Amino acid sequence: MSQVAVSLASRLGEFVGAGRILTDSISLASYEVDGCRPSAALLPSSEAEIAEILRFASAERLGVLPVGGKTHLHIGMAPHRYDLALDVSGMNRLLAYEPHDLTLGVEPGVTFADLDRKLREKGQFLPLASPFAERATLGGIVAAAADTPLRYAHGTAKDLLLGLEFVTGEGIISKSGGRVVKNVTGYDLHKLFIGSLGTLGVITRLNFRTFPLPRDQRMFVAAFADQAGTFALCRALMKSQLQPRILDVLDPGTAELFAGRGAGLPSRDSWLAVVEAAGHEAVLERHARELASMSRDAHAAEFIVLDKAQRDQLFGCLCEFSPIVSGATSAATIFRIAALPTSMPALLAEVRKLAERHALKCAILIRALSVIYVALLPPADPKISSGLPSCAQELMDLCNRSGAAAMIERCPLEIKKALGVWPPPGTEQKIAQRLKRVFDPQSILSPGRFRGGI
Amino acid sequence: MQRTIIRELERLVGGAGVLSSAEDLLLYEYDGSVEEAHPDAIVFPRRKEDVVEIVKLANRHEVSIVGRGAGTGLSGGALARQGGIVVAFSRMNHILEIDAENQRAVVEPGVVNLDLSRAAEKYGLYFAPDPSSQKSCTIGGNVSENSGGPHTLAYGVTSNHVTGLELVLPEGDVVQVGGRTMETPGYDLTGLLVGSEGTFALVTEIIVRLLRLPEDVRTLLAIYDSLEDATDSVVDITARGIIPAACEMLDGWTLRAVEAYVHAGFPLDSAAVLLMEVEGVRESAEAQAAEIIEVCRNHRAREVRRARDDRERALLWKGRKEAFGAVGRVSPSYYVLDGVIPRTKLTPTLLRIEEIAKRYGFVIGNIFHAGDGNLHPLILFDHRDPDQFRRARAAGTEIMQLCVEMGGTLTGEHGVGMEKNELMPLMFNETDLDLMRKVRAAFNPVGRLNPDKVLPLGKGCGETRLRPFPLSAGRNA
Repeated sequence: MSQVAVSLASRLGEFVGAGRILTDSISLASYEVDGCRPSAALLPSSEAEIAEILRFASAERLGVLPVGGKTHLHIGMAPHRYDLALDVSGMNRLLAYEPHDLTLGVEPGVTFADLDRKLREKGQFLPLASPFAERATLGGIVAAAADTPLRYAHGTAKDLLLGLEFVTGEGIISKSGGRVVKNVTGYDLHKLFIGSLGTLGVITRLNFRTFPLPRDQRMFVAAFADQAGTFALCRALMKSQLQPRILDVLDPGTAELFAGRGAGLPSRDSWLAVVEAAGHEAVLERHARELASMSRDAHAAEFIVLDKAQRDQLFGCLCEFSPIVSGATSAATIFRIAALPTSMPALLAEVRKLAERHALKCAILIRALSVIYVALLPPADPKISSGLPSCAQELMDLCNRSGAAAMIERCPLEIKKALGVWPPPGTEQKIAQRLKRVFDPQSILSPGRFRGGI
Repeated sequence: MQRTIIRELERLVGGAGVLSSAEDLLLYEYDGSVEEAHPDAIVFPRRKEDVVEIVKLANRHEVSIVGRGAGTGLSGGALARQGGIVVAFSRMNHILEIDAENQRAVVEPGVVNLDLSRAAEKYGLYFAPDPSSQKSCTIGGNVSENSGGPHTLAYGVTSNHVTGLELVLPEGDVVQVGGRTMETPGYDLTGLLVGSEGTFALVTEIIVRLLRLPEDVRTLLAIYDSLEDATDSVVDITARGIIPAACEMLDGWTLRAVEAYVHAGFPLDSAAVLLMEVEGVRESAEAQAAEIIEVCRNHRAREVRRARDDRERALLWKGRKEAFGAVGRVSPSYYVLDGVIPRTKLTPTLLRIEEIAKRYGFVIGNIFHAGDGNLHPLILFDHRDPDQFRRARAAGTEIMQLCVEMGGTLTGEHGVGMEKNELMPLMFNETDLDLMRKVRAAFNPVGRLNPDKVLPLGKGCGETRLRPFPLSAGRNA
């Protein structure tokens, strides 16, 4: 460690106390983001400590990355400056939970899996099941706008987050929203934090609404020979009175990645529509009946009802799409593309052609008819194909042209450096920059990681 | 206002697009809250370009601008507190597109809420937020106030249904935020703008999500001899895993006032009625209705009625939707409050409100969205008596304080506006308010747009300040 780093560490140690500052290279390696390693990682235990650290960091112009379960740090650009990791995973208390009010408050470091277990004891859940559930923290899930298969019925963090407490880049402790399910008092600053990648502040408390667990649920899978049949089923479903809680579509590439994971998926080389219904038995039976009929009309090759064990496996796969893909190929490049249902078939046909032209395999997951995840999967030996950068660039251009809102959620560092991960900024950029200056005037929080260079 | 400004406005939008005579302006001194403020001119743009030019003109002459929809707001959000130009969006009232397949609509801000649902009906779709004023309030106003309504318990408020906006910033730039898709990379500026009460930007185009009309609706009315049994039922229904589409309560005093006017069939000797609706897939609506009836009976409901057809359903809802009108018949004025408390605190809160009513010598009726704990206490008073004014205001403040003390908030759907901006310190400290001021300045740097709203005036003053006559006398509520 350099002299500067030593003196920095000793000053920072005053804020958090012994044992809660890490400076050894082995520990710091786990905080690495896009090849950048911080000089120290701090493990604060309170909002007040975070405020002190940020006041100091702001005065010293140190780059700070808020860190939770380290599961979504691949999102965004490499930080311009990264001196300190502010690891809030130790702030993991459930602060308030009143089951009858269907509301709760948590510290940012509570993992999704821990919270889920506590809620299930009371017959409730928070519909934010996200990738890496055992490690991902609620603060991180919100800051990364992590996605969930349950969004078809329950929406995203925007629909579930009631309020936030946070510390700004200058070390100012503040809050927004409230703890009740309906509230329009003051400006909804907390909405800005969703998907903000830690560029506006460090979240210290999150208030959510919870939901009663459904009485029962049943998952159905319809297999199709091609994309057209799958979308015919989706269209029929959207026009019907059925109200499923999950509607995800897998292309053959994704179906293959999920195969052998105990989900009992139908034959390979199929497009799969995964639908889950919840509620009373009569509701489930109606979904089963009508979905089977719609699938027939759409010329499905198979229509199956999963048993509970298979359902749990497939639900897990849907949540863990991103980790499964990157587990299969570390150089996987995953796009997150928001699009309208009617634009999806043409866009996907183009995407698949593009991948084929560059000799790249791809795996596609369509989430809730709202977001398409496209994973480009380069072969392990880069000599076989070097088409990844140009394919990624063409895919980004294609999305920008077709009005889809795309970003690269995960990719090798070379791609990140060459292409960037964000679409070009739009007319809102001036406001986004001004807001950044309000929350973080010295630009010390996750600098350079966000859209438009923020 | 200088004559030159009026003339310039007339040049922009034509003589018929500007009002400036004293008698015309009188109509724009009010909104649904009967706060009062005097504008200098009303201008009616027809397109975004008009709005841009109006904003630039206001900047050149350094006058304030305030956006206005139908003027049904309940917190003075559309009133020109510092005078200046009111930009009334009633001529920008076109539904630009209904994209039925993608369940989206693109509308101008002056489109009336119910008109959109009516236009979408032929596709089997509707716009979910349904404020009581939905026959006249505009979607632009709903966006500003983040409006709710009885059915927000299941479907959320306006914010949950807006995916994109086109804005004219107070400096004259046109900015797009969000889009048609459910998400866009970058900060969720749409989420921040909805509910900013017209203090950040003028909205010129709105993209909303439409929902499929439910196949089946079951409407139930449970009648109770005790208020506590009614509130316990609400808690128990959600504990059973049922989230009704709506769950409304009227207390004994209010249901009697309503019955005298609407004849909805509420028994005059009951202590409370609960109006509940479950909807969705037929099988689900039926099963949930059966379960709700069981819960209500377990909590000693005297009777549970089911609407047998649309006519009966409309009658039950009439009792709820016209309740404010009914109260207007029995009192010269009333002050509508809009606090939220956790659902489990309903009984103690209502008891405390009763105590406050007794102490001040007022009748306070309670009609509210029980499912989400959104109270609308109605303080009855006579605005011609200055002492009653003062005491009604003090009682209202005490009730708002009580809501915050119970873990709730100052407003669930009516907005802060100029009615509660001085009460904001009950929920937010000076640091929080200062950050909100800075966020507002990021959009509205010199405060030209809708000044003196939402945040307390007089920076640095942490105490609650009260203006002489801040009461909602419920003229149009």
